[in-house]
Amino acid sequence: MKKNFLEINNVTFSASSQNKINNVSLTIENQGDIVCLLGPSGIGKTTILRTIAGLEKNNSGTITLKDRILSSKEIQVEPEDRNIAMAFQDNSLFPHYNVFDNIKFGAERNKNKKKGLEINEIIKLLHIENIKDKYPHQISSGEAQRASLARSLLSNPDLLLLDEPLSNIDQNFKEEIQVMLKQILTEQKITTIIVTHDSYEAFYLGNKCGIILDGHLKQYDDPYNIYHFPNSIEVVNFLNRGTLIEAKVTGENSLESNDLGKITGDFIKHYPKGSNVKLLLQPEDLEHDDASDLKLKVVDRKFRGTNFIYTLKTSSDKLISVFVHSHHIHQHEIEEKFGIKRPIHIDHIVCF
Amino acid sequence: MGNKINFWFISSLLISALVAIPIITVLGSFFEPISDYYNILKKTFLIDYLTNSFFLLIGVLFITFVIGVGCAYLVSFYIFPAVNFFKWALILSFAVPAYIYAYSLTAFFENYGTVFAILNNLFGEGNYNAYIPKFDGLLGAIIAISFSLFGYVYVLTRASFHYQSQNLVELGKNLGFSKKRSFFNIILPSARPAIVAGLSLVAMETLSDFGSVSYFGVSTLTTGIYSAWISFDDLTLANRLSSYLLIFIIGLFILENFSRKKAQFHTSSKGGHRTKTLIKLNGYKSFLAFIFCFTIFLISFLFPVTQMLYWTIIFPQHLENLDVFKLFLNTINLVIISSFFLIILAFISNYGNRVSKSKLLQILNTISISGYAIPGIILAVAFITFISWMDSNIINYFEMGSIKSFFIGSTLGLVLVYFIRFYSLANNGIKSGYAKINYSIDEGAYLLGYSKFKTFKNIHVPYLKNSIFLVSILLTIEIIKELPITLILRPFNFETFATKAYLFASQDLLEAAAAPSLILIIIASFFILITSRYILKE
Repeated sequence: MKKNFLEINNVTFSASSQNKINNVSLTIENQGDIVCLLGPSGIGKTTILRTIAGLEKNNSGTITLKDRILSSKEIQVEPEDRNIAMAFQDNSLFPHYNVFDNIKFGAERNKNKKKGLEINEIIKLLHIENIKDKYPHQISSGEAQRASLARSLLSNPDLLLLDEPLSNIDQNFKEEIQVMLKQILTEQKITTIIVTHDSYEAFYLGNKCGIILDGHLKQYDDPYNIYHFPNSIEVVNFLNRGTLIEAKVTGENSLESNDLGKITGDFIKHYPKGSNVKLLLQPEDLEHDDASDLKLKVVDRKFRGTNFIYTLKTSSDKLISVFVHSHHIHQHEIEEKFGIKRPIHIDHIVCF
Repeated sequence: MGNKINFWFISSLLISALVAIPIITVLGSFFEPISDYYNILKKTFLIDYLTNSFFLLIGVLFITFVIGVGCAYLVSFYIFPAVNFFKWALILSFAVPAYIYAYSLTAFFENYGTVFAILNNLFGEGNYNAYIPKFDGLLGAIIAISFSLFGYVYVLTRASFHYQSQNLVELGKNLGFSKKRSFFNIILPSARPAIVAGLSLVAMETLSDFGSVSYFGVSTLTTGIYSAWISFDDLTLANRLSSYLLIFIIGLFILENFSRKKAQFHTSSKGGHRTKTLIKLNGYKSFLAFIFCFTIFLISFLFPVTQMLYWTIIFPQHLENLDVFKLFLNTINLVIISSFFLIILAFISNYGNRVSKSKLLQILNTISISGYAIPGIILAVAFITFISWMDSNIINYFEMGSIKSFFIGSTLGLVLVYFIRFYSLANNGIKSGYAKINYSIDEGAYLLGYSKFKTFKNIHVPYLKNSIFLVSILLTIEIIKELPITLILRPFNFETFATKAYLFASQDLLEAAAAPSLILIIIASFFILITSRYILKE
């Protein structure tokens, strides 16, 4: 039987007596996989990383990395002996060394290993050339975050933990750094757990994502499934990417909604005919059609470059969102009527 | 990471235990039967001792706070004439011990003293004595102690202001705060740990002061302790009075910790720290800032130095008879050995506390730094008592011969008691340096494969070199000025500038005391100057 690279088995992560994430079980199967943990601020995501790194004690369950138990009730391997690197959200650059020397600390840890990146290579990739002679107090928080990231990457750890690694980086730089980061992690086969509150970042970087809500790991799956097949209303609400509307199951692949009429598609879970359900409607599920007789009132319109997101109000005062390509011939103003294409067909129907 | 027993824990425990020994001895007096002297004292002078000590403390804390924070604020945030000079010149007040300041104050204002001579020379002979104010008694002691100690508040507050982020100042502007409101709501609270650390040092020094209060005839707990020991030969009574002082200090610490709650005062670690833009003062504001700093410099340093210099010049024979080289070697020897051990051990203790995160160690640490509040006389006596007890109860039992000569009247004993006395100084300095290192820096090092020892050696020690220099200055000045411990525990025929000055003064030869006092001030000033340049550069 193939062994998992990292196994977290029934661990309760506790930042304080009130703030706990209970009985988390999670596995990373292969070296080089990237896992992103998503959750609201203050829920204890950082505590998970700190416990895996050995900076917080683990009182229940086991954490095993490459077949070696790192922590359990009896065993507690010291942080320096785990070969786990972590880039903190508030950077932990040594204030009395310049950026280059700080990054060099990472390389020193890797000096006995053959593989890995060269220091100058990573400096170039993360655009640190201009600040490498500066001290931590002379650089911006985004620059400090990149330097901290470079240091962690250079140490070529068995497991890399990144706590909101791009949170302070400028938006125009962020996407480029995201691409670089993914490329480096994949090429170097560095297994990574990233904590973030940015779902787009998580969906892009992660092979798998975990959603942490209300003290539990609510869903652990690949990004596509997390987005399209959320397993609870809490996850839907957290991702804030759809609306739940009342509907009645009318057949093997159809529902009836008072607001939208007949909806067809494949159910991802079976519901008996006649069941009252809450149907998840995501912005891409509906299509705009000026000629349609199903008209809803526009209450908001957001321009997002490639598309518009129209927020429409149904007859039962529900707000639903619809994507429209931004090249669409005309725009609809607020209070105007907006046509929805019929019949409504959704590839996969998610209900609760 | 729990209360693990490791090297750091054991080291910290041993250091705290060593420093705690005399404190336990002193507090142990509560369990000994009280003497008749204590009952008499309770009915007569005890209230005087307590009230005088209290008012002395309040007066000194108030003046040192206003002067120390005022000067630190002006030189840290504004540009005005001679501001760079004042930055280091104000530290020179450290070089003047309170008892030498007291002699200068008296000599200057006394009947037919220096002021009288100046007036006589300027305006001809006259009865000026009636118009010359007299700074003696409690007021004299408050002034003498305040001007010799305000440097603690100044140095620590200035360092805190210096490292304060420009963002804080701009935040105030952003919120539409006036300069006054920014100062009271942002700048001052963020420097609070430094101010409190400075004031704590001042409080402990004040409560330990013997030289100036005895000179001005103010009955405080320290003079009471001295009388109990010298006049009544009652060590239990002396220890009982010392324990009141100790309780006072512990109370202050608890109050300070309670008021600070769980606030952490780490420096910003998210970057964005920029050099402060200093504000250039113009017109009368510039003049007032200059006058404020100059007056403090004049009163705290120029005045006592001039007075001592004046006496040394008009009585040159006292300088000629002084073996300056030998006194210098003796003094410096003590400084180097003691500072070395104090700094090394304060480091170990603080790092132990940091990695162990043990509540027990924190409590021991708090108790152990109270050694600073115990007057030197009591420490010396408690040490002699402890060694004698060890000698007769333990060493004698194993028939190993006497250990008294190793510890009493030897450099080793002197250094050990200095250690107990000045441990809080070294500890507080290193501790406030550590407060600036965010825990995530340690954690970052661990995760780069650094062991705890390697983190200590390669990360903490280089980063804290500023703190080490600062602590070294403070220790050097303190040890050079230290009087009672040296007086009691020094080897036979071993003199320092402080003991020499005291011996002359105690024989009412103030003019002879001027030469060693002046040299003491010059040496102390030299150490301050070489290190202040370093501080300013940083």
